[in-house]
Amino acid sequence: MKVTLTVNGTEYARDVEPRLLLIHLLRDELGLTGSHWGCDTSNCGACVVWLDDTPVKSCTVLAVMADGHRVLTVEGLANGASLDPVQQGFAHCHGLQCGFCTPGMMLTARWLLNNNPHPSSYQVREAISGQVCRCTGYENIVKAVLWAAEYEAGG
Amino acid sequence: MYPSRFRYEAPHTVAEAIRLLAAGGDNAKVLAGGQSLVPLMKLRFAAPELVVDINNLPGLSYHRADPDGTLRIGALCRHADLERSALLAGTQPTMAAAAPLIADPIVRNRGTLVGSLCHADPQGDWASVVLSLGGSVVAEGPDGRRSIPMTDFVTGPFQNLLAPDEIAVEAVIPAAQGERRGGYLKLERRVGDFATVGVAVSLETAGEVVRRAGIALTGVGASTIAASAAAAALTGHSLTAESIAAAASAAAEAARPRTDHRGSAEYKRHMVATFVERILTRCSAEPAERAA
Amino acid sequence: MAQIAAQRYTGASIRRSEDPRLLTGRGRYVDDIKLPGMLHAAFVRSPLAHARVLSVDVCAARALPGVVAAFTGADLEAMTVPGPDALSTLMGAAGPTPEFTLLATDKVRFAGDPVAVVIAESRYLAEDGCELVEVDYDELPPVASADFALDPGSPPLFANLGDNIARSRSRNEFGDIAATFAGADRVYDFRIDVHRHQNVPMEGRGCVASYDPDLGVLTMHAATQSVHVAKIAVTMRLGMEPDKVRVLAGDIGGSFGLKIGASREELATAAASRALGRPVKWVEDRTENLTASGQAREESFNVRAAVSNDGDLLGLDVTMVIDTGSYPGMGGMVPAIIEAMLPGPYKLAALGFESVGVTTNKAPYVAYRGPWASETFVRERVLDLIAKDLGLDPLEIRLRNAAPRTDPPAVMLTGRPLAGVTTRESLERVAKLADIPAFRRRQAQARAQGRYLGIGVATFIEAAPGPRSPEGASGPMGSESMRLRLDEDGFVVLFTGQMPHGQSHQTTLAQIAADEFGVPFEQVRVVVGDTDVVPFGLTGGSRSATMTGGVTLHGARRLKAKVLDFASHLMEVSAMDLQITDGNVGVRGDPASAVAVSEIARQAASGEFGADVDARLEVEAVFDGGEGGWSGGSHCAVVEVDVETGIVTVERYVAVEDCGVLINPAVVEGQIRGGVAQGIGAVLLERSAYDADGNFQSATFMDYLLPTACDVPRIEIEHLQTVPLDADVNFRGVGEGGMIVAPPTIVNAIEDALSPFGVRIYEQHLPPARILELIATAGSAQPSGSAQPGRSAQPGGR
Repeated sequence: MKVTLTVNGTEYARDVEPRLLLIHLLRDELGLTGSHWGCDTSNCGACVVWLDDTPVKSCTVLAVMADGHRVLTVEGLANGASLDPVQQGFAHCHGLQCGFCTPGMMLTARWLLNNNPHPSSYQVREAISGQVCRCTGYENIVKAVLWAAEYEAGG
Repeated sequence: MYPSRFRYEAPHTVAEAIRLLAAGGDNAKVLAGGQSLVPLMKLRFAAPELVVDINNLPGLSYHRADPDGTLRIGALCRHADLERSALLAGTQPTMAAAAPLIADPIVRNRGTLVGSLCHADPQGDWASVVLSLGGSVVAEGPDGRRSIPMTDFVTGPFQNLLAPDEIAVEAVIPAAQGERRGGYLKLERRVGDFATVGVAVSLETAGEVVRRAGIALTGVGASTIAASAAAAALTGHSLTAESIAAAASAAAEAARPRTDHRGSAEYKRHMVATFVERILTRCSAEPAERAA
Repeated sequence: MAQIAAQRYTGASIRRSEDPRLLTGRGRYVDDIKLPGMLHAAFVRSPLAHARVLSVDVCAARALPGVVAAFTGADLEAMTVPGPDALSTLMGAAGPTPEFTLLATDKVRFAGDPVAVVIAESRYLAEDGCELVEVDYDELPPVASADFALDPGSPPLFANLGDNIARSRSRNEFGDIAATFAGADRVYDFRIDVHRHQNVPMEGRGCVASYDPDLGVLTMHAATQSVHVAKIAVTMRLGMEPDKVRVLAGDIGGSFGLKIGASREELATAAASRALGRPVKWVEDRTENLTASGQAREESFNVRAAVSNDGDLLGLDVTMVIDTGSYPGMGGMVPAIIEAMLPGPYKLAALGFESVGVTTNKAPYVAYRGPWASETFVRERVLDLIAKDLGLDPLEIRLRNAAPRTDPPAVMLTGRPLAGVTTRESLERVAKLADIPAFRRRQAQARAQGRYLGIGVATFIEAAPGPRSPEGASGPMGSESMRLRLDEDGFVVLFTGQMPHGQSHQTTLAQIAADEFGVPFEQVRVVVGDTDVVPFGLTGGSRSATMTGGVTLHGARRLKAKVLDFASHLMEVSAMDLQITDGNVGVRGDPASAVAVSEIARQAASGEFGADVDARLEVEAVFDGGEGGWSGGSHCAVVEVDVETGIVTVERYVAVEDCGVLINPAVVEGQIRGGVAQGIGAVLLERSAYDADGNFQSATFMDYLLPTACDVPRIEIEHLQTVPLDADVNFRGVGEGGMIVAPPTIVNAIEDALSPFGVRIYEQHLPPARILELIATAGSAQPSGSAQPGRSAQPGGR
């Protein structure tokens, strides 16, 4: 089936099988390997991208369902050479170790800050509670998001 | 694991969707949020020949109240819409309590209430909530629409009353006869866990007297259980320690739990009673439409 | 402190050089590799725990368009060189080695055992092919428990072993067991169980194997903790010469002990690539990861403890059974480490230790972060149980029994000196930070309101690397090698056999090298993951801080000496008068003389020097761990237990750690927090569960529950001022401690919370349902403490 979608501002058209999952379209067809596959059951969130304006688990969306929609992945998070404050926060607060869950975490964090610029640490934890990090124990991820919130507030 | 092959259609009208489903017969599946169906397809536990994606159907993402207070939830209304709904927060304590407990925040962005009802997972939360509220599902087929009470809608684990060529377009919660109180509690070992036990309690009260009660149980039987005797123990009474205890023990009796790796049958039964008691105790202590 | 030439970077939370690529989606994990003509593998796996394989029919799969090949177990045996598991061989496992085939041949030994592999143009097609493979099984009685495996009547998993004993029973004694127990006021009997759980890195196992038929070279892109160990496995199994195999690794999405060497599936993928002359990728999905990658722990301990009325732990006599699953792998080495570590930092007069390892129809056994962690769980649990019985405070019984810091140091009963161990200090400090008296007041108030709070303390030591024994020829972790070079661009390049997968070596090793050599941090390049260029090494066992940090320090020092020596020819100044600062060589006290190290390197490369001048600015360094030492610490948790639901909430967690000199505090604390999170998960959520028939119950993330951000509290960490032992290298490993000590810390806190019910806990996994069972059955616990003649009987474990 023909699919046309806009990923990180670039329009792509591909002919895909209906069964192809969005994560595989992004990774295997478009070469955007920053989003990862982490589980079979939509629990881990390593694959989180934005579909239009909300974070979704791209392992649980068919590529054909993204036809005519916008997708944002980690590759589109930075503004040119300047990292998004969330990315900066992760670097500043050692918010990642192996880095596998990080793209999904950052995309959810970006969405959270767009909708709640001053979250509490509890709200950050809740926002990322559908995503699993096996390395950090989460504390530095929370710090990273709060750092970005403060940075964006001019703090 | 990745899905088997299937045909995919994304119609733009309900009528077209119904035609496609009619042609697809028993091997067609409706895809809305996909948060239950797609994982099952990935595990190859489900392998439909035809998938009819209804996300392009216009005008189904609403949830709104009629002037008389009847609540209508469209087939494409996402869990997150309900979680963030000002309407529910003020008028539907049981639904407002349940919404943030569905799956996890990212899944809630995509999954739908109506889809969850259709999926008929005994561990699904919304079925209990809607059952406790005396709700129904509106199905549309070649011959038009019909309303199916939630008490009849689920026919067994992962089975519903829809004909192969019918689509559930809306869930309906009737207007309250009195003030609403209630809540939903779920034992999840962790965010995103299926309910080990879930309890939905929906009351409609006049002063201190319960005029209508609905209690429904998640995860403790082959399908969602309406704990009618427990509800009856409250109807016509005020919430006292005695009526609460009677409802809790009747609800525990209605449960049909099985021992598994989430816990023993005995434990689950105990949790049903504990949750019924907790919700009702909070209802009795808090003003109407505020209890969680 | 370590004697480093400068301390500009070492000791600071330098931002990681790994992060820019990982934060922008430019990391390169194994699944990101896409080679021209690459095929995809998927495995057909046994649905049964134990069965004879009567036939495997792959014809229909082979006929499916898009499928390129399908291989059975017999096919793969013909395609490879039979032999034992390379890892068991490397680990020097004693006794007969179980048969080891890449796929099941005559029988399957766990639900998930691979039976056939389908190679296709895509993973989707390969899975379609798997559905067409027909396997006939003849079901055998499953061996689903260690108890049944110990029964001589249980059907043996491996014909060549004859029974299900994977590691034969052995017993060692230290001190005078008989006299110690005879002289004790009290003897307790406990049975303590540790449940099966597993690593679950976010990235599962996987590889891309690419065989070049023209060159006869196999290149394997692996996710592994050691490219060289993986290479050994490939060369052994595929019967290839070492110069024809190259293993590469890029970014790795975690491992925690899982990805040592190359697994059966990875070797099968390599064999398929060679047979087909095309690259083949296999990346496991989560179901495969949970079902078949490997699991750990599942040990039971019968513990007898000899104790004085005052609470002196005099002796332990322990019998351990370890369930090493279907393919024992790393399981064979665990009991010996547990034995060596059991005395911990305590004064113990006698230890008896008996162990046996069994095979069962469960997933293979792998190392998981602190593979020997149960020694700490058992010891720290036993101390609390005894303290409760004697009415002692848990802190008091630990302080009473901890060996004092003396000179020469006290020696563990099992032989290692407790040099520099700061157990008392960390216990006292963590108690102060947690303010136990204030907590007790709060606890009493909460109980009055029907809320149950509890506090738990546990302490550990970890041989990371361990102390040098007075008679020891080499350090306890052997040696670590590194090649270091000054390149013409002025970069100091480190070639290390470490294979980081979250540990931040590219940052931490560069910090040390930059300081010691005298270049900016950004001017150090750390090269990993290529068997053609890096020396032998392995990331694991918390070894890299000391061993690799140490070899970096010594290597950078040698390289600097060599560069200065060469520069002295060039600049006609004595090397003694030269120094390197900020990337420049200059005469001390004469800033104008500075020459960039890149210029020195370019001159050296020009080659216009006589034979007397060594212009090769490269060194190889080896480090044996120096004086070594222990890392360790004490942790404290505050929990609340909802006694109606059984839900446990960890309210507060405090860690006081001594891991020597910190190279990068942020990295150290990240390791501690991650380990603690895994320990919390092990107690409250995670279990690799099998039913009585050996069916796996935790095959997806719906059933194997990893902790989320809402389950792990903020973790407060304080570091103790360390006791330096070595003249130069006092960095100590910190990778495993959190996972080792968090489980007893949490369980101790839960037991404390439930003390009004008289609950005693002899196990590690405490999900909500189990908490309520413990409350319901409390008080009916079987007293099994034996009365010493003439003394009163004491309650003990069950």
